[in-house]
Amino acid sequence: MRKSPASAPESREADAPRAAKRTVGVVELGTTSIRMAVAQVDEKGVVRPLDMLNQAVSLGRDTFTRGGIGAETTEACVKVLRGFARTLREYGVSDPGSVSAVATSAVREAANAYAFLDRISIATGFDVKVLDEAEVNRFTYLAVLPHLRADARMMSGDTLVVEVGGGSTEALLFRDGRVAGAHTYRLGSLRLRQAMEESRLPGRRAMQITRNEIDRAIRHVLDSVPVAGERRPGMLALGGDIRFACLHLAPARAGAERVSLSAAGLSAFADEILGLSVDEVVKRHHVSYPDAETLGPALLVYARLADALKVRRIRVCKATLRDGLVAELVSGGSWTPEFERQVVSSALETGAKYRFDRGHAERVADYARVIFDALEPEHHLGQKHRLILTVAALLHETGEFVSNRSHHKHSQYLILNSDIFGLGSRDLVVTALVARYHRQSPPKPTHELYVSLSRQERVVVAKLAAILRVADALTTRPGGRGGALRVGIAPGEVNLALEDAGDLTLQQHRLRQKGNMFEQVYGMRVGIRGRRGTAHEEQAIDVV
Amino acid sequence: MKSRQLMLFNRELSWLEFNQRVLDEALSEDTPLLERVKFLGIAASNLDEFFMVRVGGLEMLAASGSRRADPSGLTPARQLEVIGRRVARMVADQYACHRDLLEPQLVAAGIRRVRRREMAPDQARRAEEFFNAELLPVLSPLAVADPADMPDLPGLRLHVLVRQAGAAGRPERCAVIPVGTAMSRLVRLPCPSGHAYALVEDVIAMFAERLLPGAEIEEAVPFRITRNADIGVREDLGGDFMAEMEHVLDQRKYSDCVRLELRASASRAALKWLTGALRVRERGVYAVPGPVNLAGLSALAALEGYDELRYPEWTPQPSPQIDPRESIFDEIRRRDLVLCHPYESFDPVTRLVEEAARDPEVLAIKQILYRTSVSSPVVAALGEAASRGKYVTAVVELRARFDEARNIEWARELERQGAQVIYGLKGLKTHAKLCIVVRREAGGVVRYLHFGTGNYNERTARLYSDVGYMTCDPDLGADASAFFNSVTGCSEPQPFLKLAAAPLGLKERILELIENETARRRQGRRAAIRIKVNALVHPQVIEALYRASQAGVRVDLNVRGICCLRPGVKGLSENITVVSIVDRFLEHSRIFYFYQGGGERVFISSADLMPRNLDRRVELLVPVDDAACRRRLCRILDGYFRDNVKSRVLAPDGTYRAPGPARRRPYRVQFAMCAEALQAVRTAQAARRSVLQPHLPAEEH
Repeated sequence: MRKSPASAPESREADAPRAAKRTVGVVELGTTSIRMAVAQVDEKGVVRPLDMLNQAVSLGRDTFTRGGIGAETTEACVKVLRGFARTLREYGVSDPGSVSAVATSAVREAANAYAFLDRISIATGFDVKVLDEAEVNRFTYLAVLPHLRADARMMSGDTLVVEVGGGSTEALLFRDGRVAGAHTYRLGSLRLRQAMEESRLPGRRAMQITRNEIDRAIRHVLDSVPVAGERRPGMLALGGDIRFACLHLAPARAGAERVSLSAAGLSAFADEILGLSVDEVVKRHHVSYPDAETLGPALLVYARLADALKVRRIRVCKATLRDGLVAELVSGGSWTPEFERQVVSSALETGAKYRFDRGHAERVADYARVIFDALEPEHHLGQKHRLILTVAALLHETGEFVSNRSHHKHSQYLILNSDIFGLGSRDLVVTALVARYHRQSPPKPTHELYVSLSRQERVVVAKLAAILRVADALTTRPGGRGGALRVGIAPGEVNLALEDAGDLTLQQHRLRQKGNMFEQVYGMRVGIRGRRGTAHEEQAIDVV
Repeated sequence: MKSRQLMLFNRELSWLEFNQRVLDEALSEDTPLLERVKFLGIAASNLDEFFMVRVGGLEMLAASGSRRADPSGLTPARQLEVIGRRVARMVADQYACHRDLLEPQLVAAGIRRVRRREMAPDQARRAEEFFNAELLPVLSPLAVADPADMPDLPGLRLHVLVRQAGAAGRPERCAVIPVGTAMSRLVRLPCPSGHAYALVEDVIAMFAERLLPGAEIEEAVPFRITRNADIGVREDLGGDFMAEMEHVLDQRKYSDCVRLELRASASRAALKWLTGALRVRERGVYAVPGPVNLAGLSALAALEGYDELRYPEWTPQPSPQIDPRESIFDEIRRRDLVLCHPYESFDPVTRLVEEAARDPEVLAIKQILYRTSVSSPVVAALGEAASRGKYVTAVVELRARFDEARNIEWARELERQGAQVIYGLKGLKTHAKLCIVVRREAGGVVRYLHFGTGNYNERTARLYSDVGYMTCDPDLGADASAFFNSVTGCSEPQPFLKLAAAPLGLKERILELIENETARRRQGRRAAIRIKVNALVHPQVIEALYRASQAGVRVDLNVRGICCLRPGVKGLSENITVVSIVDRFLEHSRIFYFYQGGGERVFISSADLMPRNLDRRVELLVPVDDAACRRRLCRILDGYFRDNVKSRVLAPDGTYRAPGPARRRPYRVQFAMCAEALQAVRTAQAARRSVLQPHLPAEEH
């Protein structure tokens, strides 16, 4: 096992008793700063923050201007992380399972990301995980969920949760408390600042161009958020820049968990900040240079978005990515049923966008899950793969939106290019391939995307696609009508029993077409029979 | 409203008035004789620092031709003029006090200075023996052929100028004899009763020819110079003013000798020679009618015996709230604690660090040390903790004025023991007093905190009146950690839940609290402000207090030292009263009270209300929300505003006067707090005695 960055000389910890409460630390390497939260978690999972640290670094500036992280910035990160490691030791955090370190877009997009991460690991002991966009969304969801639940207004109707980062803007759309969409836009405050600087245009002109650029990006956001008529979404803003604005626009509410800001006030404040030079922002507002650089553009994005969404007040909450990381550490990394429901909800929104047959899709997904659960001793896959299978099942026919011909291939690229909440980029590739292989050719060495996977991932695709094919074969009636499925496992064979199945000729035919892959992957034949009435009246109708 | 200049007192003159109040203690017949000697020494020593840190900077600004007026409207040249006049009067008062009051009374008490011409033969013999044995081996006269070749002499050290007649037809010779700091100022002489002494410079003068043989000694003149330390003015200037100062420093044309003190009996020739050699301006020359450096006579106050000539010895009392048999962690967990020193002992603070050092469940200790004693038990405990594997971080402010060398010494020792030592912040002095102990307990990590208004120095904690607050409040703990992280450079400053820190928001918080009272009063609601600090200089704070007064807020200020606020001016400040207390213990605590619509808020702070504290130092303002602690601090404040013995009331003209004819019984807050501390201990002991715990026989089987 890796040595934790907070591992202390043994003598320091040897005699200390273990606290009943657990202390955890999460570190985030962001675009303009490295932040750490130290928190205490009690037996019931209640989290109490102990310490928050923040040090400015110019990771984003390096990556977005030079393509990679420079040596000076790397060493600055090393220095910061060594300090953070000491702080963790001071709180007695020495168990590697109690520390989570992640990096976002600035490291993700750096050409020398691996070299950077190696240096960090060697010099500080921090094993930094680079989050992809979907994972960022997932942690944001975990962080924001308690705030949504605490405000009944945000649990009904549409709420767009937005965080403007240095490299990108994350947007999570909640519909009646359920995730309806997760999107990441390459609209970052640092990127905007750099564009302003590179334009070398006078202040007002540069600001106008920035405004236009923001508005262009916001149009994409609006594609997924209905603002017509009375149906206006609420806006919940996250992030250090908007929290800073709260300190100035609602000082009396400083420290509150949630604050409501006037959109007009925010817009004026954004203009005020953008009207100052970075030096003036630092001097007047006591912020670091990296923060001063991003503050104005970030606030402008929030303000323009509020304007586009026609919201008069913006809610701001204290949730951060680090809260999500802590929640993840507390839950031991397992995906909760609630989280799975949110992923499914997001997949259904995606399906609806491509006008899928929801009933059919859900029935296929139900059958797939039943088969997956019954085959657990055979495939040895976990909850996450069950969820991937579910999403693939829900979206396997979305390709028909494009064309009936080779719709499985269309499904693949539609899924690949969708933002499905909760699924990381690798998960999305696996999901897309599982959906693709629900019909026609099984995986082949000529399938470029398939061969780009690791061997382990290829096996997963095969196992899940084989199940999806069978489930799809069982669902022949439009609208998803069909009885409950029972699965019996016998040596060398899988026996499926469908309740209220009626005539199973079609299913039998489709299983013949699709069952080969299952047999190849699992080495088991699939049989199907119908059941009418109670279990005692069960009778075989057909056997493959 | 009147012009801003008329609204504020000049800070230098206000400081001189403070020093006058210290001198008044030496002049007061109510003060025990040896304490008066001590106060005379303190006033002299204060004046030394004033010349070093204030006059020097003003001299340079004036020399550069700067005409920039200070907030009271005076240019540097004009300030020097008025300072010169006021100091001349003060010096005259000091020497009159020494010559006319203290010396005769000391003689009456049996403590007698013996001059050369008064020495009995055995006394002269003793002086000669002392010279031969103690002085001759170490004194090294510096022959100065030409005043232009005068070597750099260290400031604030006693020297003796010796003028010798030149040999036939040759010019006179001059030499300077430095009197080392290791030498005692007082040379004890034999006498049948009491205590007789000679001043060391007199003994040197008696036998100077043995150091400079070959020519007749015409004159031996003790003298001392004060050099510009240019610290104070620079720290108080801000922004572009600092740039101006840098320019001045670059172009320093004059010697940095800002004061020359010599005996008034010196010849004109000696005076001319010294002023030429030291390049000191005429206004910097002080010919004093008595011993140069009266602070050196403070050693008399420590003479063995003569206890009847001093205040009765005061032993800080144990805090009745703290059971010495219990762990300090248990005590703090049970309730928040306010400690009031020197009435209560500093031991609980020392215990906190010492227990932390030895407690296996303590993970880390973090402490800010500004000034501490050489043999500080706090530093020793930090070292022990580091040796035992605790994570110890000490922020050591090396720039604590005149304590730099001492701080470096023990900071290095701490590093050797494994502690992480941070040498302050660039450009900012770290003045906050904070100790955090991080302890792992069954319920999780708990942070035990001590916030203070005074330094972690158990020696000064017996002499300075300070308050401390011990708590394990989680919000304050989070804030304290965030504050410490920013001071140690581990993190950028984070928003606080409860604390306010300078220079990032403490001033704004104080202004906000004052403005809140003002707003309430304007709406006809009751409002009140009470502040006890050492200095009130910041123009923004003063203007906020003026606005409060104009709105009708009752503002009571207890400002020990400099106060630039002009109280009692109709239409401006008639609702403000300012009192100052100078007494046995140096008033040092900073306490803030705001009525806040009945929801009274009380704070303690490391900061005075000066630009340097609020804008250029790292300071803390700590809310004391615990009801019992808040009540205690309110009672302490009540006492400070009730004092009618040592309290002096600031008049609109800048003078301080004793309170009017007392209608009430005399109340002296420091004595009352001593009595209260003794009574509290007696009450606690009685309470313990009321619980009888018999030795029970073993149960019969």
